Amino acid sequence: MIILDSLLMGGIRFVLDKVAAAVDNEMNDEGSLREDLLAAQMQLELGEIDDEEFAEIERAVLARMREIRESREEGALGLPSDARVIGVDVTFEAPDEPEDR
Amino acid sequence: MLVVSTDPAHSLGDALGVELSSEPRSLEIPPPGPLSRKKRKGELLAAELDAEQALERWIGERRADLETLAERGTYLDPEDVRRLFDLSLPGVDELVGLVELVRLAGESGCGEIVVDTAPTAHTLRLLAMPGELRRFAEALDRLQERHRAVAETFGGAYRPDRSDAVIDEIEAQGRELEELLRDPARSGVRWVLLPEALSVAETLDGVQALEEAGIPVVELIVNRMTPPPPVPCPVCEARREAEGEAVEELREAFPGYAIRFLPEDLTPLTPLSHRPPPDRERGENAQHAAPVQTPGGRGRPSPGWWGGDGRGVGGEVPRLLFFGGKGGVGKTTCAAATALLLAERWPDRRILLLSTDPAHSLADALEAPLGDDERPVPGAPPGLRARELDAPETFEEWRSRHLGEVEEWLDSAGDLDREALRDLVALAPPGLDELAAVSALIDALFGKTPAYDLVIVDTAPTGHALRLLETPGVMLEWVRTLLSLLLKYREAVRLGRFAEELLELSRGLKRLGETMRDPERTRFLAVTRAAELPRRETLRLLKALDRLGIAAPAVIVDAVLPAGCPRCEREAMAQEKEIALLRQGLERCAIILAPAVFPPPRGVEALKEWGRSWG
Repeated sequence: MIILDSLLMGGIRFVLDKVAAAVDNEMNDEGSLREDLLAAQMQLELGEIDDEEFAEIERAVLARMREIRESREEGALGLPSDARVIGVDVTFEAPDEPEDR
Repeated sequence: MLVVSTDPAHSLGDALGVELSSEPRSLEIPPPGPLSRKKRKGELLAAELDAEQALERWIGERRADLETLAERGTYLDPEDVRRLFDLSLPGVDELVGLVELVRLAGESGCGEIVVDTAPTAHTLRLLAMPGELRRFAEALDRLQERHRAVAETFGGAYRPDRSDAVIDEIEAQGRELEELLRDPARSGVRWVLLPEALSVAETLDGVQALEEAGIPVVELIVNRMTPPPPVPCPVCEARREAEGEAVEELREAFPGYAIRFLPEDLTPLTPLSHRPPPDRERGENAQHAAPVQTPGGRGRPSPGWWGGDGRGVGGEVPRLLFFGGKGGVGKTTCAAATALLLAERWPDRRILLLSTDPAHSLADALEAPLGDDERPVPGAPPGLRARELDAPETFEEWRSRHLGEVEEWLDSAGDLDREALRDLVALAPPGLDELAAVSALIDALFGKTPAYDLVIVDTAPTGHALRLLETPGVMLEWVRTLLSLLLKYREAVRLGRFAEELLELSRGLKRLGETMRDPERTRFLAVTRAAELPRRETLRLLKALDRLGIAAPAVIVDAVLPAGCPRCEREAMAQEKEIALLRQGLERCAIILAPAVFPPPRGVEALKEWGRSWG
């Protein structure tokens, strides 16, 4: 069962890493906005969106980036500007054992 | 016996005077003596390999199992896997050539196969393919490993399935081909060359590569030796002297080898019968009687076929000049002479002379040390740089440069079978030479600051020059598919620098494709000789260029002989006839005649002088 364990634990670790990354991105989400912009450039390249739609996304992303910078300067999040989430504490609670009938 | 051509630019049908296809056809050999025709009929079969069709068949027979493997080893869904399998592959000729030969031998029941291969470099790639097949099987095995582990965990002892059988079969195919090629009792290479210094230099590299791979070379055949003239003749004597020097060099380099010499044969081809030329020849001529695309499209262009005083017809400066043609016709010397003259004429322009033929001859022609970097040529105008592209090196560099990004991307992909994917990334991609050449072109034209004003490309012989021109399109399809997969899975795997690079590559490929299809910015100069086989191949090349939308405003006929003794008189007359036939087929294409000189021009000054003598 070692392999199964490692597969399952690997999977759980992967999910937790993703949760940590997502929280970090949401907090310092310039990175995720850059990804949005890159995704829009890719869609434009593939012809999935046109120049106008791209320009709209670009405007929205840049505006959001400005907002984040401004709020960071104001310390709106109450955290240092270079704060990063590096992990998530998870507690597993086993359900009560079913009683024998 | 079966004779097969694996060169994508087939000439076997031309040489035999019959129409050939990918299915072997029986040839009737007219008996020289009183032997009955019937008795010898069917002794010889011939075919010209169709690589795309062969690859489709090979993959088709295994596709379901290969798709299963891809689904098991990655997180791609069946639709993604199907999309990837539907894409064209670069390097098809080398990928499937040997496997197809074995299939043809089996189906035709022939015990002996004579293979007319592509020129040097791509034949070396073809012969290396069994090893690549085995590495491919290893990578597939890794992909399957995870599935085996899961199956064992849940179901006890693992029972191999069809996918395992396919992996074993591919491994066995690679191993058997490797053994076949290395077994002197079953196979051997007969290396054919011309009695010319460049051809001898190529032979040195080629035979060494074969020896290193353990592939036996049976003999060296020096073709088209000038016979002694019937009367004293300065032309024949100068030719024979130059050939003698080349042969001497060959003998010194290969002391223990059997070397056979074949004289220049002036009798017309069609040895099998007196059949009329194949239909496709007539078709080509008819095709080319129609207008061939030229800059400006107004009849025969002026001698300024390369852009005249530096401006194209529409005022655009040409950016790309390709030199291509059949092996041994003189592409490299023509490309080098043109580059030197243009660099002299345009001293303020940055010009790159790039050899993309993996069997490089540029350094030998220029008599200058060259390598995989862009470097000045001693004695040449300062604006000129030259490079002999080293595709494996370029790929290695690219891989090490981007390995970090791929690793980073794999890390963000979580618990994937990284080892298996790393194995796949480490496989040399098929069509490596063409991929590296396209990447070098994008870099030279758009990637540098300042970019080159003009890139002159000395290409590999016809078949692979055409493959190179098709490669930007094939690559673009792959890059776009990968971009769309990255977008699809972006919630799970972040895009990162890997996606940025792909996006950049997609833009570069599009830009290169547009440049190549613009007759004012790109021209293909077909180099040929005044002989039947090169002429026929040139006509097919021009037709293919037309199909690809690439302007071919001029054909350079190299090594046009002066008349001397009755023998060279006869040869010169045969050349004149060939040139006239070529003109018929190329009404709107300039024909430039480059004289034969003995010994052929080598070094900066000799090349420039020779280039000025073209008419």
